[in-house]
Amino acid sequence: MFRIWLLCMLLKNKILRKIFACLLTLLAASFAVFAAFEIIPGDAAVSRLGSNASESAVAALRVEMGLDKPFLLRYFLWLGGLFRLDLGTSYSYGIPVSEMLLDKLPITLCLTLMSMAVTVAVSVPLSIFYAKYARSRIDRTGYVGNQLLMAVPSFFLGIIMTWVFGSILRWFTPGGYVSYKKSFGGFLSYLILPSLAIAIPKCAMSVKLLRSAILTEADKEYVRTAYSRGLSTMEVLYRHVLKNAMIPLVTFWSMAVADMVAGSIVIEQVFNIPGLGRILLTSIANRDYPVVEAVIMLIAAVVVIMNYAADLICRRIDPRIRER
Amino acid sequence: MLLEVRDLSIEFHDHGIPERVVEHVSFSLDSGEILGIVGESGSGKSMTALAIAGLLPRKKMNKEGSILFEGEDVLTMERKDLRLLQGDEICMIFQEPMTALNPTMRIGRQVEEALRVHHSELDAAARKERALRWLENVGLNDSERVYVSYPHELSGGMRQRVMIAAAMVGGPKLLIADEPTTALDVTVQAQVISLLKRLNKEERVAILFISHDLSLIQQISTDVCVMQKGRIVEQGSVEHIFERPENDYTKRLIAAVPRVEL
Ligand SMILES: Nc1ncnc2c1ncn2[C@@H]1O[C@H](COP(=O)(O)OP(=O)(O)O)[C@@H](O)[C@H]1O
Ligand SMILES: [Mg+2]
Repeated sequence: MFRIWLLCMLLKNKILRKIFACLLTLLAASFAVFAAFEIIPGDAAVSRLGSNASESAVAALRVEMGLDKPFLLRYFLWLGGLFRLDLGTSYSYGIPVSEMLLDKLPITLCLTLMSMAVTVAVSVPLSIFYAKYARSRIDRTGYVGNQLLMAVPSFFLGIIMTWVFGSILRWFTPGGYVSYKKSFGGFLSYLILPSLAIAIPKCAMSVKLLRSAILTEADKEYVRTAYSRGLSTMEVLYRHVLKNAMIPLVTFWSMAVADMVAGSIVIEQVFNIPGLGRILLTSIANRDYPVVEAVIMLIAAVVVIMNYAADLICRRIDPRIRER
Repeated sequence: MLLEVRDLSIEFHDHGIPERVVEHVSFSLDSGEILGIVGESGSGKSMTALAIAGLLPRKKMNKEGSILFEGEDVLTMERKDLRLLQGDEICMIFQEPMTALNPTMRIGRQVEEALRVHHSELDAAARKERALRWLENVGLNDSERVYVSYPHELSGGMRQRVMIAAAMVGGPKLLIADEPTTALDVTVQAQVISLLKRLNKEERVAILFISHDLSLIQQISTDVCVMQKGRIVEQGSVEHIFERPENDYTKRLIAAVPRVEL
């Protein structure tokens, strides 16, 4: 009785309710991921031993891998492991999955952070510049360029960049990835081009969103009030307009981060970076399900957490959302 | 003379065909006085008010004539000189206090803003103290709470009081009130009118009071300009205009006033 009462009280708190919803989402995702690999044809034991292995050997391996237990039991065992951050053992490498991920996570994380930093640092000033010249020739030229960059996929930009900067200008060695353990500086400088390839379309989209949000806000009456107090255009922009105009962008950026983590599969392939995306790709090919499941859960967690963070930030910016 | 508007004309030319919305408007306002402007909606009252406050876009519009504030022409002034007047000497309040306030900024910061711009000698504590004093002065007794509130947490009447506090905080010489009570219900309307009258007496602030409702003008002002289609069609003391209206349009405005007193 008391526990139920406590739960109800906790659920009244909006933030706790939101966290609860996040956990529930992740739980549903975990079931979906686990069930999906149950349904997909193919047997991990067979694929590990090869198709001409003897039936008894396969059966023995199945017992060893725990595949003989019923589905639900295996699911709950796996789920229990997730809570203890025990993600199981890789079929192909025989080492704990958590160890593998911990090794690769910093690479993709760095790439995402760099891409995001470029997106934010470039798109905000650029949007302000475009908004200032709204409906002029600069604006119309910018619009076409922006539309173009928005439509180019990152991997294509990556290929072009490798060709231009690698083969023609020879500013960087394609495939010359440097491990962060060896040289952190070398590692970061290798990530510059890939992060630009990821950031450019996101930047274009951010500029489009922020430019139009700034123009929408600039027409509002509170802006006229701000001018009536003797503020300069820049003060009106930074003290009043920008904060309100950032609200749609925060949501977009949170999705962009999730998209960058998921999109690392492609861009890491183009630039030959051994990050999360690479692991996911090879483990899918090897039917290394514990690894695949763990990476997908990680991506799901990033999506859920980023959504939650965006929500929190929007609440901080706009008090009217807080009331709802 | 605090404010002298001479032969003011305003013309839009953003849709190709130029459109005159204010034509040859002249009036003047002495310091510490109240002048009413009345006219139906679309008669150019707001355009005139915005021009005086220096809030009309510099491009997109043709402006002729002059608006002399303490002898200096607001229309031809450099932007940086104009900004020194705005919020410090000339202040403005608007019809919709909800949209005129920034929805994501606390009331306190908005009330203090004119001080932040024009009185850099005041530190944060002094600004806050003044803001709180002004919130109380306009009748918001729970000033500490209002100070940290957001606009949507207040009622319409409270928001307009906040706008008045934010306008008065810098000690302006001229307050332009463009239909400040139109969005409010009748009892609150009367309170805001009497607040403005009190501020006029106590702070010696001149008020340009704009309304489509002649009975409101009658409550606050002794002098009135009647505007129609961008022109001033009649000008004089409210008393005189009520007794001997010369213009048909004025007569119609008078007929629209519910006869309670007089
Ligand atoms: N951006 C604009 N472009 C063209 N005409 C406008 C614009 N804004 C207002 N007007 C016109 O200016 C005239 C005067 O408007 P306004 O001063 O707001 O009237 P009032 O405040 O007396 O109701 C109206 O006829 C209106 O249609
Ligand atoms: Mg108006």
